[in-house]
Amino acid sequence: MTSSGQIKKDNAAPELESRALPEGYGTTEAALMPRDPNWMFIYWEITDNSKANLCRKHGADIFNKSRPVIRVYDVTGGDASKYFDIPVMLEAKSWYVNVQDSGRAYCCEVGLLQPDGTFIGLVKTNTVSLPAGRVSDVTDEKWMAVTADFDKLLQLSGVEYIGKGSGEVAKSLAQRWEMLRAVFSRASSWGVSSMSSQALQKTEQPKKFWLVADCEIILYGATEPDAFVTVSGRKVNLNPDGTFSMRFALPDGVMDLPVKAISKDETDSRAIDIKVTRATHTDAK
Amino acid sequence: MPNKEKGYLALVLHAHLPFIRHPEYEDFLEEDWYFEAMCETYLPLLDVYERLTAEGTDFRVTMSITPPLCNMMADSLLRERFRRYYSLRLELAEKEVVRNRNTQFYDVAKMYETKFRRIRELYEDYYHGNILEGFKKFQDMGKLEIITCGATHGFLPLELRKEAVHAQIKLAADDYRKHFGRGPRGIWLAECAYNPGDDVFLKAQGIRFFFLETHGIIYGSPRPRYGVYAPVYCPTGVAAFGRDMESAQQVWSAETGYPGDHRYREFYRDLGYDLEYDYVKPYLHQDGVRRNIGMKYCKITGKVGLNEKAPYNPAEAREIAASHAGNFMFNRERQIEHLNGFLGRKPMVVSMYDAELYGHWWYEGTDFLEFLFKKMHHDQKTVKMVTPSEYLAIHPDNQVVQPSMSTWGDKGYNEVWLNGTNDWMYRHMHKQVERMVEMANKFPSADGTLRRALNQCAREVVLGMSSDWAFLMTVGTAKSYSTKRFVSHTNRFNGLYEQIMGNRIEENFLKDIEWRDNIFPEINYRVFSTEEMERAQRS
Repeated sequence: MTSSGQIKKDNAAPELESRALPEGYGTTEAALMPRDPNWMFIYWEITDNSKANLCRKHGADIFNKSRPVIRVYDVTGGDASKYFDIPVMLEAKSWYVNVQDSGRAYCCEVGLLQPDGTFIGLVKTNTVSLPAGRVSDVTDEKWMAVTADFDKLLQLSGVEYIGKGSGEVAKSLAQRWEMLRAVFSRASSWGVSSMSSQALQKTEQPKKFWLVADCEIILYGATEPDAFVTVSGRKVNLNPDGTFSMRFALPDGVMDLPVKAISKDETDSRAIDIKVTRATHTDAK
Repeated sequence: MPNKEKGYLALVLHAHLPFIRHPEYEDFLEEDWYFEAMCETYLPLLDVYERLTAEGTDFRVTMSITPPLCNMMADSLLRERFRRYYSLRLELAEKEVVRNRNTQFYDVAKMYETKFRRIRELYEDYYHGNILEGFKKFQDMGKLEIITCGATHGFLPLELRKEAVHAQIKLAADDYRKHFGRGPRGIWLAECAYNPGDDVFLKAQGIRFFFLETHGIIYGSPRPRYGVYAPVYCPTGVAAFGRDMESAQQVWSAETGYPGDHRYREFYRDLGYDLEYDYVKPYLHQDGVRRNIGMKYCKITGKVGLNEKAPYNPAEAREIAASHAGNFMFNRERQIEHLNGFLGRKPMVVSMYDAELYGHWWYEGTDFLEFLFKKMHHDQKTVKMVTPSEYLAIHPDNQVVQPSMSTWGDKGYNEVWLNGTNDWMYRHMHKQVERMVEMANKFPSADGTLRRALNQCAREVVLGMSSDWAFLMTVGTAKSYSTKRFVSHTNRFNGLYEQIMGNRIEENFLKDIEWRDNIFPEINYRVFSTEEMERAQRS
């Protein structure tokens, strides 16, 4: 704590808060939260007990022969027939889920995809309704007469500033007040992702049909909460439970990501070296 | 007199600080946030209201005073510590007037002496150590509308359980009643974070309106007929007012915003660093590290290094504040005339700001407001300043629109409070809420030690829910403090939970936590029960 003060002498009881947070709560459960019109955040915990039950039911090798995925259901209107899968590692415990369609309701299920395509659900989340992120198509008949002016009204309302309200604030604060400097220095891994996403823009072409695709990489792990961890030689800040995760832009080529952890007393260390290769081929059309 | 005005302006100031109070330390750095805001924003604002009232200038302003802030203002320990804080500043300011006689810094040194004497006078003689009395006085006169906020500025769209949403609103409304003698009519949803449907819990507490970022209204469905220039009713009948971006930009813009004027006070040249170490040491914290102490002698001057800043001229800066107030008013008049012609109805322009911008970040901001109120009252007829309650009384008919999920944070949604720096918090926060609800349901009428333990659990849950912790982690300011706060509330809660469920509550442990986290002295843990939440939903 960045306190300048000293603990009062008559109050030297050990501080409870020096304890780390629990790693889990011993219950199999998952939750889904909305981030913005196209992104959600899911976290889950799957207990050893749940895993053992699954093995009893489907065979001891079930985890080896199938692929863990997050199944993302579009449940708008109560119908869950539309879904897609995101491959994950169960140990990741959380994930940012990107969806194409804003303004819809989603629910996720973490589970195993078997080689024959059957899906075994492990744990399901709550439902989240994402905002549309745009002006509504619903116009009240009564007001139809003014719709022609709606674009102008949007301008007057400052629609071009949407989402920049506090961005502007932050800029001026960063210049004069320093407070939000970190946000705009893009020091966080979160910032890296935001920046690379901005590069993803439609190419200006008169052709009607188009495709854009890009790829980022998420690196994650866990160790003792008080360990010293580096990735590619850069210090990584651990969450209080000892987990860490980072997103990087992933350009073509080979990316070397050595992960190293040193114990607090510096007597022990572990290293995992991850190499990622990306090759992008675009047809010449 | 006939209504000559062409539209309305509502000035909304959001005053908030997280609950920071550390009795376990003699002297605690982060408590300064509150003392600084007291000296630079809250008391100077009351000073403005006092002067305007004394000279017969009518004014209207809407202010949130969040429950954590109310609890800090009412807390006896922080009252004593604030006395110590301003007394030290006054002592230094008096010394400084002598030291700076016949120097170019005399005027500014004199300014601080006058300022801290006035703070003492307001705090002691006017409000007797309880500045909530001051705010209540102006509310009772009808000039100030005080609105509440979630109990601990909780970020509601990321809660899974509606019991948590209900508890944030209900605790806030009860706390408001205790301090201001009636229920709140309006609320500032923390971070303007709105989740469609949550307005039912506002309605249950008799709250009639709240505020949204521009796109919360613009992206509502069906399309809002008047954009952000008239409130809309949610399907529950609670009104939502949208933020006007033009007036926001005028103050906030990095390029053209008022606070950047080179004649205004420079924030970063502070006496804490400028003065002789031995001379300033008694005014620093116990660790003796040089830090800002809130007294600054230079103006922004221009794009020059910190050591090339020119002396601050209080009279000159005040004149600039007056001219900026004139400019702001002129722009509102033109804006409202234009909107009036375009809409065919008197527009409502809602200008929303953090209260701490005025005075704390922008030192002359409170002067600016004083000039603005005076000019609006004396120099024009186009714009009428109103509170949201007054507006709804004049215009009870408004379009029914379901506003969109939105916040006033960067990019407009929840990312500031949900990203790689803070997403790890929510698993623990949700678990606490779930356990709190479980206990509230399990013990419908606990008493004695069990009741105290349950009430303390409820305090720990809501303290951990403050959006401030996630925000500070994102911006990287006071990150270790905010992380530690979240972790300690979580651990205190979990410790108590285990003791309660194991039927082995440790009195000393409980007493220690009660002493540390004393927000909401009258809290009733049953606020987290499913039954209470459902009753609110049905209302």
